[in-house]
Amino acid sequence: MIALTLLLLTAQNPAAPPAKLAASIARLFGPDARSDTLRVDSARVLRVSRGDSLLGFAQVGNVLGKDQPITFLVAIDVADRLKDVDILVYRESYGGEVAYEPWRKQFRGHVAGDSLRVGKEIRNISGATISVHAVTLAVRRMLADLTAWHRSGAIR
Amino acid sequence: MRKPLAWGLLCALSPCLSRSLLAQERTTVGGYGEVHYTNATGPNTPGIANLARFVVYLAHGFNDRLAFRSELEVENAKLEGGKAGGEVSLEQAYLDYRVADALTIRTGLVLAPIGIINETHEPPTFNGVGRPGFDHDVIPTTWREIGIGAVGTIPGGAGLAYRVYLVNGLKAEGFDAVEGIREGRQEGQNASFTNPSFTGRLEWARPGLKIGGSFWYGGSADTNTAVGTGTFAAPVTLLSADARFDLGALALRGVIANISIGDAEAVNTVFGQSIGSRIAGGYLEGAYDVLHLLAPASSQRLRAFARYERYDMQADVPTGVTRDPSLARRITTMGLTYKPTWNVAFKGDYQLVRNAAGVGEYDVLSLGVGYQF
Repeated sequence: MIALTLLLLTAQNPAAPPAKLAASIARLFGPDARSDTLRVDSARVLRVSRGDSLLGFAQVGNVLGKDQPITFLVAIDVADRLKDVDILVYRESYGGEVAYEPWRKQFRGHVAGDSLRVGKEIRNISGATISVHAVTLAVRRMLADLTAWHRSGAIR
Repeated sequence: MRKPLAWGLLCALSPCLSRSLLAQERTTVGGYGEVHYTNATGPNTPGIANLARFVVYLAHGFNDRLAFRSELEVENAKLEGGKAGGEVSLEQAYLDYRVADALTIRTGLVLAPIGIINETHEPPTFNGVGRPGFDHDVIPTTWREIGIGAVGTIPGGAGLAYRVYLVNGLKAEGFDAVEGIREGRQEGQNASFTNPSFTGRLEWARPGLKIGGSFWYGGSADTNTAVGTGTFAAPVTLLSADARFDLGALALRGVIANISIGDAEAVNTVFGQSIGSRIAGGYLEGAYDVLHLLAPASSQRLRAFARYERYDMQADVPTGVTRDPSLARRITTMGLTYKPTWNVAFKGDYQLVRNAAGVGEYDVLSLGVGYQF
């Protein structure tokens, strides 16, 4: 049963290529940042630190776009502010503009509970509407999870 | 490390588990559709209700890099043997092999990457019950042909993306003055590859802004030597530019296109037509979300819009053809689009269909619903 659960999780959640994940963490927290994997329920959270000081947390997730999962990363700093969103693997035929930095940077600095709505705080990109909605919703949820876990001490 | 272990365990424990799960295969169903009610002014023009489109989107991811995508469409609700009307067709059916973000190889029945509506034609994405006339007469939407090409984003983070395809060509046999190159499309049915053609697009995107430029180049003589010989005989050259600007409450979009048809005189002589040697025009549309003022907290939209289309099917004519000013069309559309959610739209509009000759002009009232998922 455990094996089945693990397999289902694995199958439905394609992993990010390790090199892309490492590059994303290095870009966000600096090249010398160290990351350790923490487990919270079934989720895996990366704890990012340098020396003795905690820099923040990051999590990799998947959200269905039009027909394929979009593998993304959300990183927060020690004050639970969203540091950045990264698109690690994009498999859809259209809508790849969600990986563009000018679109992703709209999320920076937001905290859990902030209103993050397409067409209001997050501007849409024509032709990428499905991916824009999917990623926005998924980021909002992941930011809420990471923040709740950090505040409750489940990750520290 | 965990993965192979879990897979190994599982393969041993549950041989009945579906193959697709193990290989990370995934099938997705989606769709879109629209129902129209139209009532034109003039004698013998009753109101008409039509289930204009019902489209099933079916996609399958074979693995992390290889995916199949398709759209199967029923137009006008049904088709019956021996009766006019109705159509069942494949709008797209292609395989994508993702090499990198910068390069996906695409092959199959693909959409010509031209203008706005041809690639993004789901009803909630555009204002007005029907698609713009321009996207029927000038850019023959939905324009799809069989071929192979490459798509991707251009590395460097500049926000540029491209699509280029080599596809089967148009057939001049189908060209006429009223609908331009529209009936020259082969749409994947036993398509002649006598005139391989190139089509492509470069686009630049920022949040709220997308600007694109598209082209098509290829011959259209097919095997008809009286029209011309050689791969690029009776060449069709299309250049188009488009922009979509979304400021939140205010949305603006526009498209222009210019189509040159080489050897138009020969095409007219051989097929008894009066096509122009150049088709040109475009449209501009502005929309304002009224709910942005009335209910700022709402995620619903009520867009009031106006669109002005102006295009000429005979912008230039070859020797032997007298310009018909009734083919210089001007269509003004005003209406409302109510979107309770981003992928459902209730629409209503009023159109003034005019032309430079002032003949056969009429108005149309249209109501419609559209969805996508």
